[in-house]
Amino acid sequence: MQAGQIPILRVEADTIPRAYEQAIKEVWEKGISVRTEYDRPEDPPSRDATVVIVVREPFAQPRFHRSFADGLGGLAEYVMEVVHGAHDYWVKPLEEILKGKESQDTRWTYTYHGRLFEYRIEDQVIDQIDAMINKLSGTGYTRRAQAITWNPKLDPPTEDPPCLQRVWGRLCEDGEGGYVFNMNTHWRSRDLFKAWFENVIAITTLMRKIAERIAEKIDNPVRLGRYADISDSLHIYGSYFREIEGDPEKGIKSFFDKLESRSFEERTWHSDFVKPHFIDDGLGKGLKPMLEREKEMPADVRQAIDLELRSMEQEDYIV
Amino acid sequence: MTIYEQIADEVVKGQAVAVKELVNQALSENISAEDVLNNGLVAGMNVVSEKFKNNEFFIPEVLVSARAMTAGLDILNPLLAEANVKSRGKVVIGTVKGDLHDIGKNIVGMMLQGAGYEIVDLGADVPKEKFIEFTQKESANMVGMSALLTTTMIYMQEIIQGLEEAGLRDKVKVIIGGAPVTQAYADQIGADGYAPDAASAIDLAKGLLE
Repeated sequence: MQAGQIPILRVEADTIPRAYEQAIKEVWEKGISVRTEYDRPEDPPSRDATVVIVVREPFAQPRFHRSFADGLGGLAEYVMEVVHGAHDYWVKPLEEILKGKESQDTRWTYTYHGRLFEYRIEDQVIDQIDAMINKLSGTGYTRRAQAITWNPKLDPPTEDPPCLQRVWGRLCEDGEGGYVFNMNTHWRSRDLFKAWFENVIAITTLMRKIAERIAEKIDNPVRLGRYADISDSLHIYGSYFREIEGDPEKGIKSFFDKLESRSFEERTWHSDFVKPHFIDDGLGKGLKPMLEREKEMPADVRQAIDLELRSMEQEDYIV
Repeated sequence: MTIYEQIADEVVKGQAVAVKELVNQALSENISAEDVLNNGLVAGMNVVSEKFKNNEFFIPEVLVSARAMTAGLDILNPLLAEANVKSRGKVVIGTVKGDLHDIGKNIVGMMLQGAGYEIVDLGADVPKEKFIEFTQKESANMVGMSALLTTTMIYMQEIIQGLEEAGLRDKVKVIIGGAPVTQAYADQIGADGYAPDAASAIDLAKGLLE
């Protein structure tokens, strides 16, 4: 490929952890070297590519890779943030967001849940996920069921505009009287090594919620189809190269040696191992500690998470 | 495999239920709480710490092991207090005001606890006053501060100044870490040490405290 051209890569796998590992390998080997706004002067340029990742069975086991930048309890809280809006109350007021980089308020400028479920435009608040569900329940084959996050007024001036841009879904008949829900997500920019996996666990949980709500509405089974994840810039930051490359002289393994030295089972977890950690990781994170800790969380959100917790305590619930 | 090796092994595997059972079994065999702690739980966390340092373990695995260790420690703590067993030192840690990122801080805390230190974890978004209050109240040997944002790391300097004003700076070592932090910044604000990642932070803390 000519110098200066961003490669376009494609990865397809049955499970999320397989797709994750393949994507890291592909971007590391075939990505372009390019600087990002987050690189420090001493860091090498990041490795970057436009990438399409397909997970054929998003809830197939093992669903969890062991390589991500948080604990399992923290991941559970992030899932609640995306699916139920656990941290929408951490978003700063509009007047502070409009100050852009001048704002001294360190609260957040957005959450994915806020943008998807409560998108604000012209004094209106639109639940785009509800609209998607209604659209797909009426005309399953529609190509118009989507939810966006980008706000052209609020996002360009901020330091951390949303990475996720769009969620799109479509129903197809499964040939047995039921339906298959296929979902695509489009991302402007993405930290592959330390954010992709958590993003995908949360977004595929949202995918399942959407499918469940459509099934309920149309009174017909809706099973999950493939999940497609499209990133304009999927990157490995230069500051992570030390972790990826290791340091053979000091006996520090490279990321790829670490993968090769353990079986796939040893570098992943099944949902049944993860579930108790999602409920309470014993270190102050997870759904139970979150409800105890975050007293300012609005009552309706608390109720939704409490309901999720009770579902999670059922044996057949898969996280 | 001895009971100590079994406990250590289950800590490494992150099996909290098995650790609890084995700790109770060891105590019922009249093994002292201190021996179970040092030869079982701490030995297991040492393996985890070494694997993490050598890039053989992933972050969530460290936390899963820490959960298993904590499950055992919860059983031992009252017995250790009863026997007046002292920790190797006390470390007050927290993520500074305005910053809610706590994963690096949690790992450092867990690994130090696994190495036999007592941890006073102030959580995230911690104001200067709270760092000072707990450093004094707990007679801490070390203060560890974390920040993941360029906008919040500048607050670390205020905390060090606060420790100086409270007459505590000479009594504690101060270490700092987090993505935007550098050695140059640590030198600039008068911290005793900086570590680029959690694994190096453990060695740094141990080196400064021993």
